[in-house]
Amino acid sequence: MPDPIVLERLVSEVGKQVRLRRAEFYGLRGLFAGAVLALVPLVLRELLGPPGLVLAGALLCAGFLVGAIYGLALKVPAGDLARLADRGYQLQDRVATSLEWGARPDRTPVVDALVADTAARVDALARRRIIPRLLPREAKLIPLPLVAGLLLSIAPPIPLPQGGLPSFSVSKEDEEDKPKERAGDMQSTDRPTAAKRDPIQRADLQERNMVPRSGAGGQSQPGDLSAVFKDTSLGSKAPDFNSFLKKGDERIRMLEQVDRLPDLQQDYTQRQTKVVFQRAKALRGGLDPNKKVSPEKLRELLNEMERLGRKGGGNNWSGDVSEGMEALEGGQTDKAMDAMERALSKMRQLEDRGRDGKSLKGGREGDRRGGPRGGRERAGQGGPGEEGDFPEGEGLMPGKGKSPNPKGDPSQRLRGNPYDVGVEGESRQGKKDGLDTNMVGRGANMPSRLQYLGVLGQYRKMMEESIAREQVPRDFQTQVKEYFQSLDEK
Amino acid sequence: MGESSESAQPQLQRVQEFIAAFQSLRSEVRKVIVGHDEVITHVLIGLFAGGHVLLEGVPGLGKTLLIKTLAESLDLTFSRIQFTPDLMPGDIIGTNMIVEDAAGRKQFQFQRGPVFGNILLADEVNRATPKTQSALLEGMQEGSVTVSGHANPLPSPFFVLATQNPIEMEGTYPLPEAQLDRFIFKLRVQYPALEELVEIIDRTTHVREIEVHRVMTGPQVMGYRELVREIPIASHVRDLAALIVLATHPQWERAPEMARRFVRYGASPRGAQALVLGAKVLALSEGRFNVSVDDLRAIALPALRHRLILNFEGEAEGVDVDRLITQLIDEVQTMSGAQKEVFLR
Repeated sequence: MPDPIVLERLVSEVGKQVRLRRAEFYGLRGLFAGAVLALVPLVLRELLGPPGLVLAGALLCAGFLVGAIYGLALKVPAGDLARLADRGYQLQDRVATSLEWGARPDRTPVVDALVADTAARVDALARRRIIPRLLPREAKLIPLPLVAGLLLSIAPPIPLPQGGLPSFSVSKEDEEDKPKERAGDMQSTDRPTAAKRDPIQRADLQERNMVPRSGAGGQSQPGDLSAVFKDTSLGSKAPDFNSFLKKGDERIRMLEQVDRLPDLQQDYTQRQTKVVFQRAKALRGGLDPNKKVSPEKLRELLNEMERLGRKGGGNNWSGDVSEGMEALEGGQTDKAMDAMERALSKMRQLEDRGRDGKSLKGGREGDRRGGPRGGRERAGQGGPGEEGDFPEGEGLMPGKGKSPNPKGDPSQRLRGNPYDVGVEGESRQGKKDGLDTNMVGRGANMPSRLQYLGVLGQYRKMMEESIAREQVPRDFQTQVKEYFQSLDEK
Repeated sequence: MGESSESAQPQLQRVQEFIAAFQSLRSEVRKVIVGHDEVITHVLIGLFAGGHVLLEGVPGLGKTLLIKTLAESLDLTFSRIQFTPDLMPGDIIGTNMIVEDAAGRKQFQFQRGPVFGNILLADEVNRATPKTQSALLEGMQEGSVTVSGHANPLPSPFFVLATQNPIEMEGTYPLPEAQLDRFIFKLRVQYPALEELVEIIDRTTHVREIEVHRVMTGPQVMGYRELVREIPIASHVRDLAALIVLATHPQWERAPEMARRFVRYGASPRGAQALVLGAKVLALSEGRFNVSVDDLRAIALPALRHRLILNFEGEAEGVDVDRLITQLIDEVQTMSGAQKEVFLR
């Protein structure tokens, strides 16, 4: 076994350098602290006299000494020292490995060669300081308290404030007056006394005039529960807490009927279809016309759409997704892209349909009605723009049936719906039960049965079909799609 | 000290022999292959570490030629399999055939396939079906193949060098993760530089015979593999290797942000083994008896790049695995305090 004494000597030298640097580092820190503390006796020089200067000097020296001694006393693990030596002399972990493995009983014959090799290299080393000097942040600030201290020691002593605190103790004269007052019981009745306070605060005095919430009749904010009541008779009522204490509030009762509550979050939460849209957009966005989407990414997106289709049920894009997957398996990426576009447009139409309507729809109600409506779709009745909101014999046709939609000022409700804003045109005269876009001709005399978003969905589908069917140049495709996308954003 | 030097002398001699053999093997390969120094070095490191190497690069860069030249430089049996979609496992491993003996009795006899060689070139390995690819699994890991319940040991050393083409993906079967993990290194063969290209033209378009000599035998290779395992590694270097591998796992509680964001699956323990064994060979080939942190950094990319599986975000953002690994190593070194001022701790 080679003698690793050379290595130990090297490590010990590095240890000395480390201690020296630590003493410098912590000594400077201590010096800063001592300099700051030394300002105190200099400020109080008038009180302390000449010993104040001595005390300040002693604090300065003590700060440095304590810091330096602390730095010297800190222990350094031998492993760390060996690593420092390796790094400082570019020995590529030879010293650390030699010292660690030289002491192990399971060392291999190669370890002996390693120790011998390392010792030879260390012998040949020109010793130098390998631990760099590191100054603490406080070192830059040391001149400030030193200069301040110097100025304070040169300048005349700072006069200490002489004024004392005002005396709040009772004077002797007052003490003498008190027995007199106590003596005259009859005089005390003449003194004015503070009005006696009523210990019980009456509830009727605390009652405040409650102002209806802003969301009751106007535009509601997401998360504002008052939107629940905005189209009900309770919308304009102020909460009456007295009656609530007696018989409970109708709002509470209404909140208990969960099935009747509108799904306020439907339009605000991140739905899974939106995630698919975003991914599809990210996938297609930024591609130059010559660059194609990789089949793996396309497959991943199609898989996700298929999963979504399985999960949701009642969708009509599964066929397109399957077609896309088949095309992808066959290596026809373009065909797969077209199928994905078709599926996306169907998904988007379903989304639009979900958004249609003039006000917020009851979440559970939507689900309940989803069954038969889905059945109608499967039977192939009605296009995407025609079905849904205004079936024959009910809805907004004047005098026909009872509208399931909430009553109230339609303009208020329309403002609350983020998807029906931005429709321009001249409004029809007369009573308006809903938003319509037919301004002239026959449409002027009767309410429209086609909704803006539904029509838009239809046109979008037609646009995508014609793009898929006809050989439209790619630039024009993009332009047309962007136009429809801008309509969406409106 | 004099006594200690004497005891270390045989080891020094062995190491000197290894270095000489390593360099002569490299120079033999360089007679034929222009450039690709790093690839050649890593292939040799893979050979002496006892692993198998996967070479990835577009056609025409000399992957197959490199492997053939290496096989010619070693006194070992060489077999080549061109992987195609219709290749069957029996075509690789071998099959039982009915043979008739002198007495006229018929019996099954195992006919060995091309896998029974010291150096196996699996050319375009991703063109065969997963079933056929997996026929190599047992041989690569266990050093034996089982046919009809009977394990047939493969010759030693057994060294698989596989090639694959990253651009012609149509009609290919990407290697499953289990099989990728069995390769100690995945090397990327890059386009040659201008000077190298000129040299290739000069070397290959003249009438000149390049003779490659056999410079190493199988037992020598096995002896050097044992020597490699004797190389000591300091505990802080070993811990760093473990931390690097753990840092590739997004599930690890101290995983760097990059790993959490872009990685789906991190490197397996085989990755850590590859890292340390590769670093040992590299250290020995440079005449050192110990593994350093720099060795780990040099080996990390070929040892880990095929073991990291990016997630959807990583794929979509086009994250380069090599750059990701480099950043992970930097973060791990910061995390382990290797870059801090030790003397202040």
